[in-house]
Amino acid sequence: MTTSGDTLEARLAQLESELERARKESDAQAQQLERYATDLRETFKAERAQRARLQESYMSTVRALSNAVEARDSYTGKHAERVAAYGLVIAKAMGSRLADDPTTEFGFLLHDVGKVAVPDAVLYKPGPLTDEEREIIARHPVIGVQILRGIEFLGEAKNVVRHHHERWDGTGYPDGLEGDEIPLAARVFAVADTLDALTTDRPYRPAATLTYARDVITAASGTQFDPKVVAAFGDVPDAEFDRVRLETGVRA
Amino acid sequence: MTPAVLIVDDDRFVRKLITTTLEDVSGFRLLEAEDGEAAIAVAVEHRPKLVFLDVDMPRLDGITALRRLREHEELAGMRVVMLTAGADYERDARAAGADEFLTKPFSPLDLLRLIEELG
Repeated sequence: MTTSGDTLEARLAQLESELERARKESDAQAQQLERYATDLRETFKAERAQRARLQESYMSTVRALSNAVEARDSYTGKHAERVAAYGLVIAKAMGSRLADDPTTEFGFLLHDVGKVAVPDAVLYKPGPLTDEEREIIARHPVIGVQILRGIEFLGEAKNVVRHHHERWDGTGYPDGLEGDEIPLAARVFAVADTLDALTTDRPYRPAATLTYARDVITAASGTQFDPKVVAAFGDVPDAEFDRVRLETGVRA
Repeated sequence: MTPAVLIVDDDRFVRKLITTTLEDVSGFRLLEAEDGEAAIAVAVEHRPKLVFLDVDMPRLDGITALRRLREHEELAGMRVVMLTAGADYERDARAAGADEFLTKPFSPLDLLRLIEELG
């Protein structure tokens, strides 16, 4: 009886100590797991901040490149910046996710980068252009894409650069794409580009009013422009465009 | 032969965590041992470049194992990172020949940084 009681007690003590050890191990494991979770969270936060910094540096690189192109053109001023802002406003009005994709804005800003390859004598020729000169200018979208070829983060932006002179009716360049074949961002860009061209001063004519520009763009719906884009453009109140003009230093 | 890292801990869970953390990123072969005795056998056979060594283990504890490992001339230059449950062991471990310490619960990021520095 006593012997068996002792044995039982010893067994119980042994089990208790094993249980205690298992408990400690389990606590240690839980703490270790928590440490992993903490590190994961911190790594995620650091990675997110890093991503934001990377995006900012992409944006400033694109802006620098776009400014380099603009610096040559005194009369267009902040054309690329305004067109980009107009384009984003129109894209938002379409309810399209384009506006959330940073490569859309990159493409808007860089659309004319290929013009660096067009000689001053052609680009700034006061009189009418010869066929050959027109051909030289018409190369700028393709040259633009060639310049940007190696920059992977530009993604879809290159499609805007290539196709920003296509027309809805297929008579544009360089590829003569028609309708939905033209990337949506390039179709949106076309409207924004015309809007800015009409509403800023040029050497040969003063700026037109926004109302006039709206009429011109609406009249070219279905020929030069995608009717869906023109409709969305029509829904944007004047105030939105005025705000962009104010921010980019154009008299409203 | 790809250089090896030896992970010594009696807790299988800890060994698994460490090997999973270091897999692919370290460029090392990852070896495991569950106590001091086994650690010495594996170390002598594979001559790892780096050892993560737990202190509190059955059969042979980490500090004694480390002392013995340091007696092996062919293992000179092997770096040892002691896994301790607190700062208490640090002096003994340092005296026994530990190069670095990771306090449990250790940070996986510290683990990765260590292997980048020492590897």
